[in-house]
Amino acid sequence: MKNEPQVDSANGGSDTVAGALSVVRRNGNTFGLLALAVSVALIFSLINPAVYASGLNVKSIALSIPEVGLMALAVSVAMTVAGIDLSIVAVANLSAIFIAWYSRVGIEQGQSSAMVTAVALVGGISIGAICGLINGFVIAKLKVAPILTTLATMQIFMGIAIALTRGEAAYGVTEPLANFGYDSFLGIPLVFWLFTVVVLVVWAVMIKTKFGLRSTMMGASRMTAEYSGITYPWVIMRAYVLAGMISAAAGVILVARTASASADYGSSYVLLAITIAVLGGANPFGGRVAIIGAALAAIVLQLIASGLNMMGVSTYVYQIVQGLILVGVFVVAFERKRIHDAVSLKRNRAKSNEQPFIEAKELEETHA
Amino acid sequence: MSAEVATSLGVTEKFGTLWHKYKGENHETALLLLILALLGVIAIVEPSALNMTFVGDIIRSGIVTLAMALGLLLVIISGGMDVSFPAIAIFSGYATITLMNSRGIDGAIWPFLVAAFIGLLLGSLNALFVARYRMETLIASLGTQVIIRGVLLAFIGSVYISTLPSQLDAIGGTSIMRLGNSPVNVLVVPVIVLAFLLSWMLKHTMFGRSIYAVGGDRESARRVGIRVPSVQVRIYLLAGLLAGFAGMVHVVLSRHASPFELVGTELNVIAAVVIGGALDSGGRGSVKGTIYGVVLISLVQNSLVRLGISSYWHILVVGLVVLVGVAIQAQAASREAKATRILESTEVAS
Repeated sequence: MKNEPQVDSANGGSDTVAGALSVVRRNGNTFGLLALAVSVALIFSLINPAVYASGLNVKSIALSIPEVGLMALAVSVAMTVAGIDLSIVAVANLSAIFIAWYSRVGIEQGQSSAMVTAVALVGGISIGAICGLINGFVIAKLKVAPILTTLATMQIFMGIAIALTRGEAAYGVTEPLANFGYDSFLGIPLVFWLFTVVVLVVWAVMIKTKFGLRSTMMGASRMTAEYSGITYPWVIMRAYVLAGMISAAAGVILVARTASASADYGSSYVLLAITIAVLGGANPFGGRVAIIGAALAAIVLQLIASGLNMMGVSTYVYQIVQGLILVGVFVVAFERKRIHDAVSLKRNRAKSNEQPFIEAKELEETHA
Repeated sequence: MSAEVATSLGVTEKFGTLWHKYKGENHETALLLLILALLGVIAIVEPSALNMTFVGDIIRSGIVTLAMALGLLLVIISGGMDVSFPAIAIFSGYATITLMNSRGIDGAIWPFLVAAFIGLLLGSLNALFVARYRMETLIASLGTQVIIRGVLLAFIGSVYISTLPSQLDAIGGTSIMRLGNSPVNVLVVPVIVLAFLLSWMLKHTMFGRSIYAVGGDRESARRVGIRVPSVQVRIYLLAGLLAGFAGMVHVVLSRHASPFELVGTELNVIAAVVIGGALDSGGRGSVKGTIYGVVLISLVQNSLVRLGISSYWHILVVGLVVLVGVAIQAQAASREAKATRILESTEVAS
């Protein structure tokens, strides 16, 4: 927490009161999500307690959260530096395919199960890091916009996966990895424990380290950050490598859970991950760290998905709900700000009504 | 700096001025050279593939992409990004066919207008979120994409319609000419006409110039008296209208209606527009460049099979071409930004 005021002073509003208020507001968002999660869980439990609140359902929810939750975390990191990562699913699939392939080949060559698992995991995460490095290089050095870069690399990574697998699924994981996807500790699946650990590590990286601070500053204002001696490529490359590694971790969970991997798995996760990241409090224009928020938002959306599924609502309706939540977050925030502005407008008539788009972020902070 | 200039005098400079003269407003010439280079590769590797059938195939596969790219071009020039247009397109096309089938009515021209109108209505969703709620355009269109697609599949229909109403189907079978073995459908005409109209609108109308102004610098546009939200509303309504029309073109050309098509092709269309010189940060782009971009993408897609490349490699190759094309444009844009500054400073110095 010691870093928080520094982060905000870097945003431009150097006064500490605004910084302190911002911390409260950020936690307000987190607490709001927590309250939302609890109320969603309560509502569906009241509708059908025997099914929704059963141990089996809770376990199945906990099993489904980590994959897309980690992808949302990757998007959230990219958004902190005012970017976006659309290649998350392709990276996860590529790393999952490597793990499945190496597991089979390694076992066939008679290596020990533990050895194969270790190499497969290190290789899988490294692939994520390399993919992230490619994204970061194209964005920082070739100066291509993040959305276009990751749209293209999404296709490239997916293309590599298809070319390698000939479009077929890759099967096979080692014994320890299969157990990891299946076993529980204290009644909670191991994959969910891994998710929790990754969330905490990424949170610590973004809040406590030099890199995290520089990312936040770079996202808040590139010009200010560069004038303070932070180099753009340094931050961007690292941020996308981190995002790539988180996506690869999602790939590890996916291959452990399903014991297979394919190039076309989970294409609908891209949008879901962005929805979760935005719902979790990430700002697409950068400068806001929302890691815990993203994790909570993933939980909220999975609670809703499971509830709708229980009530026999089609997946298409769930898609509509996802979209409504995504735009709803902005509409509610906008209306709240408008009411807030209307009040301050009464106090200060001279203030212009039409606020320029690019300055919306700064204005929001002055109002807070 | 002066030493560098001195050594590069002569041939390089001559080439530089020539290049400056012919590179086009949006680096269209670089794109044209890329297209020629690709054709050259095909001519060397598989010369028999270069025939009129090839041209016909490129036109046929490019026409729907171009129809969708026109609406997207407006959005991108204004500094936005849209991923909802394929959802709007297929919603409009499929809903119109469903309507015609359920009422048992037939027609040839008016279904296109109905589809365009449905597209306009759906486009108003984007307009609302972007102009009224000032959402980031990518996020807004991601949201509307799933909402529109969800409503289509949940409430309109999720079945494959294999036969179109007969008059509409007849249009799908009408061709204006044949290029080799490949018939060129009559729908090429309205799409080309639309492209010309849009090009004229962008160059010569107040609204067209306002789109560039908003994309170039929103704040400056506002200060010279352009009503930014009103321009944005018109952009997204028009983009929706064009997407709806494109959806109907797609349905008629493919001669069936499937609600699962088009969504997922947005990357190719975005790539075509951006490669065509529209700047992702806004304020730049042209219909001419977009046409080149569409031709390049169609060319790559159509030539891979002819060059005997296994279909497993297609996505990878298309992705690489997209990345290269986008990177060329990004590099050119950033070089230009630098060059302008140097020019200004030398003028001041002299």
